[in-house]
Amino acid sequence: MSESPTPSAETSPEVAQATRLAFSEDWAATVVGLVLLVLVLTGVVTQGLVP
Amino acid sequence: MTTVSDTPAAPPAERTATPATWAWTALGVAVVLVLAWATRWLDHHLPLETKGTSYAKYVGAIEYPVYAIALGLLGNVILTVTGLRDRLSGAFRTEFFIKTGLVLLGASINISLIWKAAGPAIVQALVLITGVFLFTWWIGGLFKLDSKLRALLASAVSICGVSAAIAAAGAVRARKEQLAYAASLVIAFALPSIFILPWLADTFGLSDAVAGAWIGGNIDTTAAVTAAGALAGDDALKIATIVKTTQNALIGVVAVALSAYFAFKVERDPNAQRPGLKTLWDRFPKFVLGFIVASGVGTWYANAVSAADAKTTIGVVNDWRVWFLVLAFVSIGLEFRIGALKEAGWRPVAVFASATVANLGLGLALASLLFAGFTVT
Repeated sequence: MSESPTPSAETSPEVAQATRLAFSEDWAATVVGLVLLVLVLTGVVTQGLVP
Repeated sequence: MTTVSDTPAAPPAERTATPATWAWTALGVAVVLVLAWATRWLDHHLPLETKGTSYAKYVGAIEYPVYAIALGLLGNVILTVTGLRDRLSGAFRTEFFIKTGLVLLGASINISLIWKAAGPAIVQALVLITGVFLFTWWIGGLFKLDSKLRALLASAVSICGVSAAIAAAGAVRARKEQLAYAASLVIAFALPSIFILPWLADTFGLSDAVAGAWIGGNIDTTAAVTAAGALAGDDALKIATIVKTTQNALIGVVAVALSAYFAFKVERDPNAQRPGLKTLWDRFPKFVLGFIVASGVGTWYANAVSAADAKTTIGVVNDWRVWFLVLAFVSIGLEFRIGALKEAGWRPVAVFASATVANLGLGLALASLLFAGFTVT
């Protein structure tokens, strides 16, 4: 994703991957949270659909 | 941050997405969901089952974060003994669960509360991050720690745990062992803090706002802050979240400063480029934007419909929020690793413990000063 910082050549692959994962999870959480909020507010997801 | 998880106890290994990997991850998701369901079952049924018995008051005092973390740790032991834990670990996404939960929490926080608390939260974050970072850096030097590990520990303890450690690791080009070690220390200290800080806040007779600000400013991972805030009460949770989210937002600033410091002072690289605004944006935790947007949308909705409708609908959002928080707390327990701590020896533990004590003292003083008389409405 474009928000992922470009790892330096000397950064270990594991650290670079952890960095990418952390920032991807930021976006994923934002999108999932806001979509779920909109679905609830518009009545698409109701009390009966909460596990 | 947690930006908790904010909390992989160790950075995930490079994986190739084979069908077998997906199958193990799906099994891991099933484990997390079963433990989350068990948490909610215990939280709902145990008070009913023990009603009228001598256990009722003890069971009544236990809240869902306690069940979730305990079941996560139990699952951790079982999966470790059976050799399955590492294979399933792709599903233990504390960071994702907690941040989604916090975005949903934003919907039940009036935007005016964020606006009102932002001033003291920013002042507290700036003073606390600066003071605790410099203290940890200094004491890490006294204990002769490697400068990269010092940077990771100082970032983790002063900002937001594993998220900050990950950002710092990228900035200073740390090794994966150092990141795994810093992450393990964060979780090892955060777990007891979840229970000790709410208890201390109650013992000290702190107001909800001061208790929330203290918890938000001191516990390292966002997930653990949320768990402790939930134990301290709904109003304390709101303030703890605002304070922690403010700290999370400052990750980028510290990462940029560390990048520049290591490039120009420690490694003295003449070809290093000065990090700019793009780096700042890259490091900014985007879920903070989601939290603020959700608060704005929730406030607008509450003003647009009747109070009864708003209560019902936001109640559904809150149910989803609790589910995501339970998933995060279960994952905290599942991710905990003791192995990395044993390998690194006592010196980093002593540095982290000293920094935690300094953080607690300075945090309590700042929270008492900045949030005295603050009302959560």
